[in-house]
Amino acid sequence: MKKRKIDLFGAVNDTWLVLIALLCVYPFLYVFFVSATDGSYLALGQMSFWPLGFNLKAFGYIISTPRFNVGRGLINSFTYTILGTLVGIAITYTTAFVLSRKRFVHRYWIMTLFIITWVFDAGIIPQYIIYNMFGFVDNMWVMIIPGAISTQFLIIAKSFLEGIPDELEEAAFVDGANDFTILFKVFLPLSSTILATLAVFYAVGIWNQYLIPQIYFKSADLKTIQQVLKDVVITDSSSGTTFRNVTIGGVVLNQYNLKAAAIFISILPIVCVYPMVQKYFRKGILIGSIKG
Amino acid sequence: MQITRHPTAVAPVRQPATVRQRMRKDMRKNYRLYLLLIPGFLVLLLFKIGPVGAMWISFQDFSAAKGIFHSDWVGFANFARIFRDPYILVIVRNTIILAVLSIAIAFPIPILFSLFLNEVRSKRVRGMVQSFSFLPYFISAAVMVSILYTLLSRSSGLVNNLITASGGKAINFMAKPEWFRPLYILLEVWQTFGYSAIIYIAAITAIDPTLYEAAEVDGADRWKKMWHITLPGISTTVIVMLIISVGNIFTVNLDRILLMYNQSVYSTADVIQTYVYRIVFQSTGFPDYSYATAVNMLKSVIAFLLVTGVNRLAAKIVDARLF
Repeated sequence: MKKRKIDLFGAVNDTWLVLIALLCVYPFLYVFFVSATDGSYLALGQMSFWPLGFNLKAFGYIISTPRFNVGRGLINSFTYTILGTLVGIAITYTTAFVLSRKRFVHRYWIMTLFIITWVFDAGIIPQYIIYNMFGFVDNMWVMIIPGAISTQFLIIAKSFLEGIPDELEEAAFVDGANDFTILFKVFLPLSSTILATLAVFYAVGIWNQYLIPQIYFKSADLKTIQQVLKDVVITDSSSGTTFRNVTIGGVVLNQYNLKAAAIFISILPIVCVYPMVQKYFRKGILIGSIKG
Repeated sequence: MQITRHPTAVAPVRQPATVRQRMRKDMRKNYRLYLLLIPGFLVLLLFKIGPVGAMWISFQDFSAAKGIFHSDWVGFANFARIFRDPYILVIVRNTIILAVLSIAIAFPIPILFSLFLNEVRSKRVRGMVQSFSFLPYFISAAVMVSILYTLLSRSSGLVNNLITASGGKAINFMAKPEWFRPLYILLEVWQTFGYSAIIYIAAITAIDPTLYEAAEVDGADRWKKMWHITLPGISTTVIVMLIISVGNIFTVNLDRILLMYNQSVYSTADVIQTYVYRIVFQSTGFPDYSYATAVNMLKSVIAFLLVTGVNRLAAKIVDARLF
């Protein structure tokens, strides 16, 4: 009898948690359904919870039509993300390596400066004035160079490297290694977890970045996919001028399924890598929350 | 950052050498470390310390043509102006209301969520629930707000379709000031509760399992264990997280607000950072860099004191410092 009572609690608990989990991801699925639905249904408000007249033509059309800038935005975002992640990992990892060495006498004040500038927010205007001096206005490198070290990720990398036993380093020194060989031959092979974690953090951060490109990019050629989304989905919701109805192969494409397609395309890369990377992200959060 | 010295360590007897000589010697010995630090140090100096230095313009009447070194010095005039600007009260109020609502609504949800998630026996269900709830954290503000627009669209959105189908009148959610805060908080919850839950779940894992065994012997059921062992077991984490949220009371999700708001909802949506942003990047005349910087600086100083203050408080509660 007692056992059955426990099962009831478990069943109710499992059910509502699964429902919450599905509710979290359903909006993304809904966006996919809308983009896969024939526009003629959407124009009549007939979209329910499932795609009607399933097709994927909206995706091809919105990427290949230059007027929407979606294709350009995707290429730009991929470029910034890949470059920025590589530069970010390289600089963050080497900096964390130096600052995690106990024999490096300057590590305290340098780390303190990193932390103070992290907690004390200079704000977007002084930042704009400095970045402008370096020619970052309307320059793609603003997405890559200034953000190459995030203090939060630096702390995570540093505490990981501090966890590698000193004996390894000492043994290597005895064998005649120098700091470069220690970094590349001793530490790097042991760092795949932290490198993967940094890659995920930086890649997601750059891909999702909105404020920086919005402030610094003036020309449409540099726009990221996030900015393009703002133009075609959000700004157009009030002006409603970007979209004209077209029929391709008997399928109506209109503002409803095209907007949804633009949204879905921009989350597709994240959704694709998410299953592989979430464990690294989880690890990163935990190191960050305990030590950070 | 606290420097703790080992109590038994005695300062070694050094040959008399000036600081400069010792530094030079260290640089020769460890020059490879110095070389490796160059890129990181440049990033720190130019892009992290540089902007802090450029806050100097809040004491100037900055003009882009004259630059930071030649603009006219005005002392505290910009700060005096803040106290005469009636709009400041509105944006400070809006900023704090958003933060308080976030703490009141978005803060308890992940705690409850992780308490109940801990009771799920099946590892597979638990993993699935955790992955799904964590996913929105990876999605950009632009996508979240775009989806919000899609769902709430007056002519075709799911929500308004349901409202009109049940005989109601379609609501233009994004243009109604009274809807801004609920929608902002909704996105906040959706985007962050799975993320915060990870921290609480880790804290739950650290609870001594013998406590549960002892409770079972005493005949406690799952409710009792949840409220009397699990919840007290994570109370330190809860308090620390709460303190951090209070410290971040001036931090809003700027991307989200910039994407969500429009002129018709300024009365509830306009916050300190959006005001600063508009003064410079959406001004119709000459952008007033100096005044915008002064407003932001006042906010940053208060926020900095708050964060360092609560850090001390949190450090008293847990042994480890947060920064």
